Amino acid sequence: MAKITLDIFRFDEAVDVVPHRDAVVVDIPETTTVLDALETAKADVDGSISFRRSCRSAICGSCSMNINGITGLACKTPCNTVMDETGAIKIDPTPNFQPMKDLVVHMDPFWDKYARLKPYLQPSDSDSAHERERRVSPDDMKKLVDVANCVMCATCYALCPVVSVDPAFAGPAAIAYAYRFIEDVRDGQRKERIAQISEDYLWLCAHCYACSYCPKHVDPNDRIIDVKRAAIKDRVLMNERGPRHALVVTKWIKKVGMLHETELIAGTIGRFNVRGLLKVAPLGLRMAYKGKMPPMFLKPIPKVDEVRTIFDALEVPVS
Amino acid sequence: MIKHDVVVIGGGLAGMRAAVEAAEGGADVAIVSKMHPVRSHSGAAQGGINAALGNREDDSPKAHTFDTVKGSDYLGDQDAVAAMCEDAPGQIIWLEHRGCIFSRLPDGRIAQRPFGGAGSPRTCYSADVTGLVILHTLWEQLERFGVKVYEEYFCTALCVEDGIGTGVVAYNMRNGALELITAKATIFATGGAGRMYAKTTNGYASTADGFGIAYKAGIPLMDMEFMQFHPTTLKENGVLMTEGARGEGAYLLNALGERFMFKYAPNKGELASRDVVSRAEWTEILEGRGVDGCVLLDMRHLGREKILERLPQIRELALDATGKDAINEPIPILPGAHYTMGGIETDKWGATRIPGVYAAGECACVSVHGANRLGGNSLLETIVFGARSAKHAVNYIKSVGEVRPSERTLKAQQERVSGLLGRTSGTRSPILRRAMNATMSENTFIFRNEAGLRKAVDELSAVRKEFDASAYVMDKSTTFNTDLVTTLETDFLIDAALALAAGSLARTESRGAQARTDYPERDDANWLKHTLAWRNEQGPPRLDYSRAVTIADFAPEVRSY
Ligand SMILES: Cc1cc2nc3c(=O)[nH]c(=O)nc-3n(C[C@H](O)[C@H](O)[C@H](O)COP(=O)(O)OP(=O)(O)OC[C@H]3O[C@@H](n4cnc5c(N)ncnc54)[C@H](O)[C@@H]3O)c2cc1C
Ligand code: SF4
Ligand code: SF4
Ligand code: FES
Repeated sequence: MAKITLDIFRFDEAVDVVPHRDAVVVDIPETTTVLDALETAKADVDGSISFRRSCRSAICGSCSMNINGITGLACKTPCNTVMDETGAIKIDPTPNFQPMKDLVVHMDPFWDKYARLKPYLQPSDSDSAHERERRVSPDDMKKLVDVANCVMCATCYALCPVVSVDPAFAGPAAIAYAYRFIEDVRDGQRKERIAQISEDYLWLCAHCYACSYCPKHVDPNDRIIDVKRAAIKDRVLMNERGPRHALVVTKWIKKVGMLHETELIAGTIGRFNVRGLLKVAPLGLRMAYKGKMPPMFLKPIPKVDEVRTIFDALEVPVS
Repeated sequence: MIKHDVVVIGGGLAGMRAAVEAAEGGADVAIVSKMHPVRSHSGAAQGGINAALGNREDDSPKAHTFDTVKGSDYLGDQDAVAAMCEDAPGQIIWLEHRGCIFSRLPDGRIAQRPFGGAGSPRTCYSADVTGLVILHTLWEQLERFGVKVYEEYFCTALCVEDGIGTGVVAYNMRNGALELITAKATIFATGGAGRMYAKTTNGYASTADGFGIAYKAGIPLMDMEFMQFHPTTLKENGVLMTEGARGEGAYLLNALGERFMFKYAPNKGELASRDVVSRAEWTEILEGRGVDGCVLLDMRHLGREKILERLPQIRELALDATGKDAINEPIPILPGAHYTMGGIETDKWGATRIPGVYAAGECACVSVHGANRLGGNSLLETIVFGARSAKHAVNYIKSVGEVRPSERTLKAQQERVSGLLGRTSGTRSPILRRAMNATMSENTFIFRNEAGLRKAVDELSAVRKEFDASAYVMDKSTTFNTDLVTTLETDFLIDAALALAAGSLARTESRGAQARTDYPERDDANWLKHTLAWRNEQGPPRLDYSRAVTIADFAPEVRSY
């Protein structure tokens, strides 16, 4: 048994203007999960401490919260892995969400991201044409099962820096869910789905890998790469800045072994997009003034062949 | 006031399947759920769902019916069991057509695995996340049909006017308001009641709400004494260690390091049926060969690779809860309450005795599981009877004009809640729950006898009295008041627990999950009948045995495996 101090964010949207914190001491084995520590605190000390929970086995996705600065599932986090030397654990609601009460947040923006996907199978033929199941190979199914482990806990969404600056961004969980349909051989809306998720700012993902901290090993970051690849492969909305940027970066690194910044701007915005180019012109002028103007022409780096070998080894052929 | 044709209470598998069926049948349907649907405990089911698809071996609904009836120790109603097993293949195909991610055979058909008590491999699955993928498929259908979900609304009571169901009263957890939800048909799909016990595989939300609500409204609970105990659950938090572990070859050891199961089941050892293994473990522990009140689940000899490949989820769950890594150490486990076979009495269409009121899924007792349910049959029950009850309800509402809104029920609930919130001192729900859990574990667990059961009834009656006189809610907030919600849940749990103890005391036989040490034999001459527990203001429920078991093709035989 150990004395553990839970330092808890307290807030009630109906009455509080600003949040405060409460420290609650519980006497429990240190291997107890943070969720059960909270349950003990609520049962034995203060019944008003509020948080969501259901399964206590990392499968319902209810209990994501910020524990000592790291967002994760409270029912999957033993106290002894997070408490400091004084036995204290700081618990806050997940970032990127509006707090409602204590550790309970308003989840609606997160669910809205799913609703936009039309998240249900839309086969191209009618069900009545199949007396039995549609046949799907074990490998095609396996791809989907890996994403199906997602428990919609929003941990990744809370961790995503792009969500925090642009709430319209679909976010990692919804993109992974879009992947689930895009890669389902039974679905007939692949292109429409790629277009939809592109419009929901798929290409804003900065590949920072923050969302790789997924408690269910769904790795949404990798699924985002897969969806971007699918967009390029199927040539969906290729004239948007996202795919143009990706392609021009690849093209020039392959060609000269380094980023070609002037070409990058022209390629992303569009060489003939005069209005777009004029918009970035002030930036160019400022850079020139500071002597930071990138060169117009680049010579390939000495060992550019080796860079190209990397591409040859890794590149998925794009039709 | 909110108004719909059909309102479904619960967003688990049974509730969502019912709602989709009603929506497709053209009804204006809504779900009322205390959690977002994808948070429902159905998502925790790992193993699979039964249907005689015959994808691996010849199989038939009739064979499935026989296995289920035998598994039920002949207490299941054979017409209902047959209906379920006949609907099963069609429902699985329906799920597949809606996008459910089932694991596949090499030829692309749905894969099936063998399960306890089944004559052939008929359990469809999706790796070890079967419940979760079906839950997601049904939630997707809700999105597709635009079914309205009253999310984080806690249902507190059923409305009955002139003898017919007219909707429910629900507490909006976001703002603390009680709302009247008027409906021509109400379908309860509120899940199980595992939280009657301290040691349970059920999540925090499996709190007998539907049982309590129906019971208080005058609908009997049926066969509540039959509670399934799962043999391998974690001591720390009751989390389930799937039967798959033993399927892969894990041992059960006592304090002396013996594989004790062969003393109790010389042929099957660790793989004997659930009730047998649970009783054996408990005997070891009672006779002093336990380790801190547990026996050990030993997987070490399976080796790192196999554990990581086939049992990754339970290894992770055990590590999180106990700090022990199954690769290097045996995991202490003990039997825990797992599944409520009993529930709200219904017919094979999910209809209760009150017109317009239905129940489906774990909260219902049709009865398809009788005295013991087979693995993979309860997910099936949720889907089949979710759909059947909605089908019946959609028909029923055509014959109903407007229903009278139950303002008086709303008023009564407002008084109940303000009474609880108004109290400035008293006994908090965690204390009441501990008292209930203690007597349940001591007296209504794996082995039962008259003295213990009598004690349970008395002690639970005392908890009931204390609840009514002095239940106290510390949190007075109108926002997300989970202290109030857990208190109301405790009220429902006490109802269910009393019905369980009273039914068990009266049933002087051992059948399926009920093991009476003072009546060790099954007694078909006297007990081939269902227990109906009716609410009785004065104390423990009034018991009634007017409903006989329906026997069709299969005459009762000795149940041996
Ligand atoms: C760990 C575990 C593993 C299992 N594995 C299997 C398996 O492999 N195969 C199998 O066949 N069975 C399995 N079972 C059993 C099976 O999962 C359950 O019986 C089944 O999922 C119950 O589904 P349900 O829809 O009836 O209830 P639940 O899924 O529990 O849903 C209940 C719903 O009701 C709502 N609710 C409850 N009370 C209220 C209220 N007062 N107001 C509003 N809403 C309310 C909840 O929010 C929830 O949405 C398992 C059970 C457990 C615990
Ligand atoms: S992808 Fe992972 S972190 Fe994100 S919602 Fe799903 S389970 Fe949670
Ligand atoms: S990888 Fe993309 S989606 Fe994931 S956290 Fe970073 S920016 Fe967000
Ligand atoms: S309580 Fe379900 S994920 Fe933590």
